[in-house]
Amino acid sequence: MIPLERYPKEISLRDDARVVLRPMIPEDADGLWSFLRQLPEIDKAHFHEDVDRREEVDRWAKSLDYEAVLPILAIRGDRVVGTVTLYRNKTGWKQRIGIVRILIAPDHRHLGLGTAMIREIRHLGEKVALNYLLAEVIEEQQAAVRALERMGFEKTGVYRNFVNDRKGHLHNLVVLLHPMSGLEK
Amino acid sequence: MNCPVCGAEHFSVPGGGKAAPAGERLCPYQGVPYTGLRAGHDQIYFGRWRRIDASTIDLRRAYHQLERLLNGIAVALETEDIPAARSDLGKAVEALHTAGPGEDGPEALRYLDHALSYAHRVIGDLLHEKGLPPHSPADFAGWYDAGEVPFREDW
Repeated sequence: MIPLERYPKEISLRDDARVVLRPMIPEDADGLWSFLRQLPEIDKAHFHEDVDRREEVDRWAKSLDYEAVLPILAIRGDRVVGTVTLYRNKTGWKQRIGIVRILIAPDHRHLGLGTAMIREIRHLGEKVALNYLLAEVIEEQQAAVRALERMGFEKTGVYRNFVNDRKGHLHNLVVLLHPMSGLEK
Repeated sequence: MNCPVCGAEHFSVPGGGKAAPAGERLCPYQGVPYTGLRAGHDQIYFGRWRRIDASTIDLRRAYHQLERLLNGIAVALETEDIPAARSDLGKAVEALHTAGPGEDGPEALRYLDHALSYAHRVIGDLLHEKGLPPHSPADFAGWYDAGEVPFREDW
């Protein structure tokens, strides 16, 4: 079981705003929907689902399974301003690898929220004894790449014209890995 | 002279002045969590060892300052459950030992720099656990004889 007793966790941002971090619950569907609608197109490129459809977001919210997909929300007041999600395989050869996805509301970037989210996911990754965290970021998202690198992720590859956005345009994909402490032992 | 509040060597007022108007020393770290660790980090961060004209003595001094900083971090971590920070502290100690106390040259500099970066990350982890934003040396640059003000980029 993934340990969640540290939540809700309140943190301060650079502008002194207080933000609460906690796992998503089914009642967050409205907040998540509003959050997703304000994201630029490029940030939504990785989703398998059509997140512009409200019923898709409702379906997510109703089918939460923290052992497979753990979304941690950053909430300011009653507004979702960021999410970090840890994807895990329950079985198989990648069960010790956690895939990380971080989304930050445009008006909450460069305040330290992204870095705080990376710290959270590193902590959770250690607690569930993962060997690696893996992050995939489109190369244009340089602030995210640099923040991940500063937090110990190592760039392991850049795949040219590898992924397409929802309009079909190709982008370079940066793959970053974070070796966890259990692996080093 | 070392500041009586934080223990670091910084100016007593920002901007290079030697004393506050009333003659008393001020400390920019007073009242902030992990005062000693933040000040210890910045004293090294803004230290002479990173300058082009750094001497062997500057490097040796930085080595010992880093050693003290890492010891301080280890004490702070004893009561915290932050595995990633413990791992980073181990890497910092390893980098410091690789740099060596009497070494100079680009390799020693590089490893000292790595050790300081790991230390900064651990201080950030400690602050995050308290719900605080990471420590930014840029906020304190005016209190040091900083060769350049560090660029701050948060995400």
